[in-house]
Amino acid sequence: MNIIVCIKQVLDPEIPPAKFKIDPETKQVIPPQGVPPVISVYDERAVEAACRLKDKLKGKITVLSLGSDKAADIVKHAISMGADDGFVLSDPAFDNLDSFGIAHVLSKAIQKVGSYDLILCGRQSADWGAGQVGSILAEILGIPVVTLACDIEGVDGGVKVKRIVSDGFEIVEAPLPSLVTVSSEIGMPRLPAGMRLMMARKKVIPIWKAADVGADASAVDKANAHSEVVGLTVPSRKVECEMVTGATPGEAATNLASKLANLI
Amino acid sequence: MSPVSATYFGISGYVIFWVMFLITMGLFVPRMVFLYRLMRLGKPENRFDRMGERIKNMFLVVIPQWCTLKSVTAKDLAGIGHAVMFWGFSFFLLSYIVLIGFSEGLGLRSFIMGGAFETAFLSILDIAAVLVMLAMVWAAIRRYIVRPARLEISIEAGFIMFLVFILMALHLTIESFAFAAQGETSGLPPITTTIAGFLTGAGIAKDTLIAVSHGAWWLHYTVILVFTIYIPRSKHLHVLASAFNVLFRPLDRKVVLEPIPLEALEAMESEGSVDLGVSKLQDLKWKDILDTYACAKCGRCHVGCPAQASGKTLSPREFLRHIKDHLLEDGPQLLQTNGAQPGEGQGKNLIGDVVTEDEIWACTTCGACQEVCPVSIEHVRKLIQMRQNLVLAQNKMPESAQLMLRNMQTRGNPWAGAQSLRLRGDWTNDMGLKILGATDESVDTLFWVGCTGALIDRNVLATLSLVKVLKAAGVDFGVLGEAEPCCGDPARRAGYEFQFQISAEENIEIFRTYNIKKIITSCPHCYNALKNEYPLYGGDFFQVVHYTQVIADLLSEGKLKLASDANSLIAYHDPCYLSRYNEVYKEPRRIIESIPKTRLKEMERSKKTTFCCGGGGGHMWIEEQHGTTKINHVRMDEVIKTGADTVVTSCPYCLQMLEEGIEQKGVKDSLKAKDLIEVVEAAMKQS
Repeated sequence: MNIIVCIKQVLDPEIPPAKFKIDPETKQVIPPQGVPPVISVYDERAVEAACRLKDKLKGKITVLSLGSDKAADIVKHAISMGADDGFVLSDPAFDNLDSFGIAHVLSKAIQKVGSYDLILCGRQSADWGAGQVGSILAEILGIPVVTLACDIEGVDGGVKVKRIVSDGFEIVEAPLPSLVTVSSEIGMPRLPAGMRLMMARKKVIPIWKAADVGADASAVDKANAHSEVVGLTVPSRKVECEMVTGATPGEAATNLASKLANLI
Repeated sequence: MSPVSATYFGISGYVIFWVMFLITMGLFVPRMVFLYRLMRLGKPENRFDRMGERIKNMFLVVIPQWCTLKSVTAKDLAGIGHAVMFWGFSFFLLSYIVLIGFSEGLGLRSFIMGGAFETAFLSILDIAAVLVMLAMVWAAIRRYIVRPARLEISIEAGFIMFLVFILMALHLTIESFAFAAQGETSGLPPITTTIAGFLTGAGIAKDTLIAVSHGAWWLHYTVILVFTIYIPRSKHLHVLASAFNVLFRPLDRKVVLEPIPLEALEAMESEGSVDLGVSKLQDLKWKDILDTYACAKCGRCHVGCPAQASGKTLSPREFLRHIKDHLLEDGPQLLQTNGAQPGEGQGKNLIGDVVTEDEIWACTTCGACQEVCPVSIEHVRKLIQMRQNLVLAQNKMPESAQLMLRNMQTRGNPWAGAQSLRLRGDWTNDMGLKILGATDESVDTLFWVGCTGALIDRNVLATLSLVKVLKAAGVDFGVLGEAEPCCGDPARRAGYEFQFQISAEENIEIFRTYNIKKIITSCPHCYNALKNEYPLYGGDFFQVVHYTQVIADLLSEGKLKLASDANSLIAYHDPCYLSRYNEVYKEPRRIIESIPKTRLKEMERSKKTTFCCGGGGGHMWIEEQHGTTKINHVRMDEVIKTGADTVVTSCPYCLQMLEEGIEQKGVKDSLKAKDLIEVVEAAMKQS
């Protein structure tokens, strides 16, 4: 099974909240110094899902990441986990694209990669969290999409996907090729070890520009964007601490439960 | 007439002598060959370098019995008993060769015996026999009545003590009855002739005296042969293996971890089975197997181990025992199949059945076991190599370890996440430092801060103190600031070997780029990695010093002067990776002693035999086994016992562990934890 995984590099979500800064004028996040950006957590799970399928069914995993040149680091990370190949899509024309623009560029890159059986994306990015690229990409490519997967299994001529719904899960089957977006419930990504870890860091990751993938100028034109950022603010964080007490541990627990009930 | 030259039931004594000897060798030699073959199941490792130095080391340790005498304390005097027995028994061993082998067996009695040599030799044996007997009585009382925690009750030990005691008693019988028969009842040898005096006084007939002496001689000879057969089949194999174990001990580093060659890894992956680290007997090095032969189960490691002291299932003594039992049980099968692993379900698994995963993860790599071990057994690397197998080949590790290792791999720092509210370079703000890469000035001395000293609020205070003291003393240095990565130590101790290798190679490249000649570290773990482990990866062009060494030098050069009116009583907690791994324990004491009005109170476990704070070996991040005491709480009880008002250390992990201990033990009002450099800075300000 040949799989393409789309991954995104994001600001490390683990940076201390007080160090998170934005520029309200340009509506941009100012990356803090000395903290390397990381692979988006859901995308790392998508890579893990691909690796699990490859462990069972063999095949090839190709990784695509649209972002800055530095995105080569997360492509290498995916290769250290088990991907075979990877490309970075980076061009000034790709800066600040909305979900439609991103999906367009990815669809062009996927066509350049060639044949595939399955495309995996994270359910949403860990920074903007729009959760649209996967579905739009499937629409552009004209293939079925299954979102929020917590388990993917290869079946005859297709995939069986267990997907998260609000009150449990449902199991659906899709033909190949399809696109599946992966949720964190799929489980912990593997710790890269062995030769892959050593080889990946020395690997040279090719960078594809707009012309290389044949991106449509109008599709990446900001004037044609479907959405616009009108404001950007850092949420205010307020911490209030109240000690819930009681004469006995049981009573304290009852008090805590009723306080929680009132909050909901 | 000597016992051997007599004839018994028409058979020459010589024939009986040599037949008994050959039967013994028939049982002894094949067993030794078998043990040697088992040892060769282990992987090759060159421990034959610098043999001159090795032989000298061995003699200096074994002959003066420094191996056991070094650990003699008021509470544990057993080392003295061992030394007495060793020296005494050594003379007897010599006597078995000279008096029994040459003199009796080869019939050279007339050339050897008689004259001053015999008198002198027998006099020494006289005294040695009595001393060894006293040592045996002492040992028996200790082992079976006093019962110290480190010893187990075993029949094996009792049997050996009985044999040794009987040998001594028989020797005295042989000699004193013979002297009585010859009428020598005074002079030298002092003891046996005195006993001969009593025997003569008792009016025993000469024939009886000779008969008893000869009877005792044959019994004596028999016991020696039984002992010879028993040794390689018991824990007293230790008698034969220990000297070799000391001979082949590591020379430069306490814990020898070699880089895993990438070619080997590549070959494994192309075969489709990755088997890294240690998961079976054949993965051990031959020296690791020799270790199990050398172990006498003295249990010094058992009582010195912080994991054991805090109720974890790991005991270094039992760890060794289980490996040896496994070797003797499943080794013969491996010899038959030429080292090929038996099929699934056959034999025990080294990881799981013999050593549990809990035990493997309980080790803090503090090295206390190795330090007190009289016979240079290397416990720590075996455990780390088992972790390597779990992490690299099986992807199995506690969740807390996985989180830390993932952070190391993706973020290059074990403290990532909510544990730190800082960014890497924050501490350098407004300090007026030369930041390499941002300054044009050339600096050849680098202050390597370490992740903890840069990221954790409490430890940053110590980092700032160090910077202020170094600047005040006019030391010229640069820092890497936000660009400083992790040294890789936590990854290596947790078995994530390749991540350490990547860190080492990348960091060495940084040092090369900036032409660094000297590195000052504040964390003993970084210190150990940079100083002892980086050279194997090409990092051999810079000198590495710990800050305590720098400060001690500045004080003796007069570049730093300390004054204080603190009137403080300080207990110094030695960090394992500084005092034990690198023997830096004099410098911190010199620093404390140079602060006026400050007194140092030594802890019972200090210097090279210090007790771990609980934070080593990746355990700053890896959770301790549930339902056990925390190691830092055990240590805190020892700190509190000193009555000191301040506990001082020189390691960021230790500092955190001690502070947590103070908090949990509720002694905040009477006890403070400080980094030594904070004490120095305070004393410097007042001057």
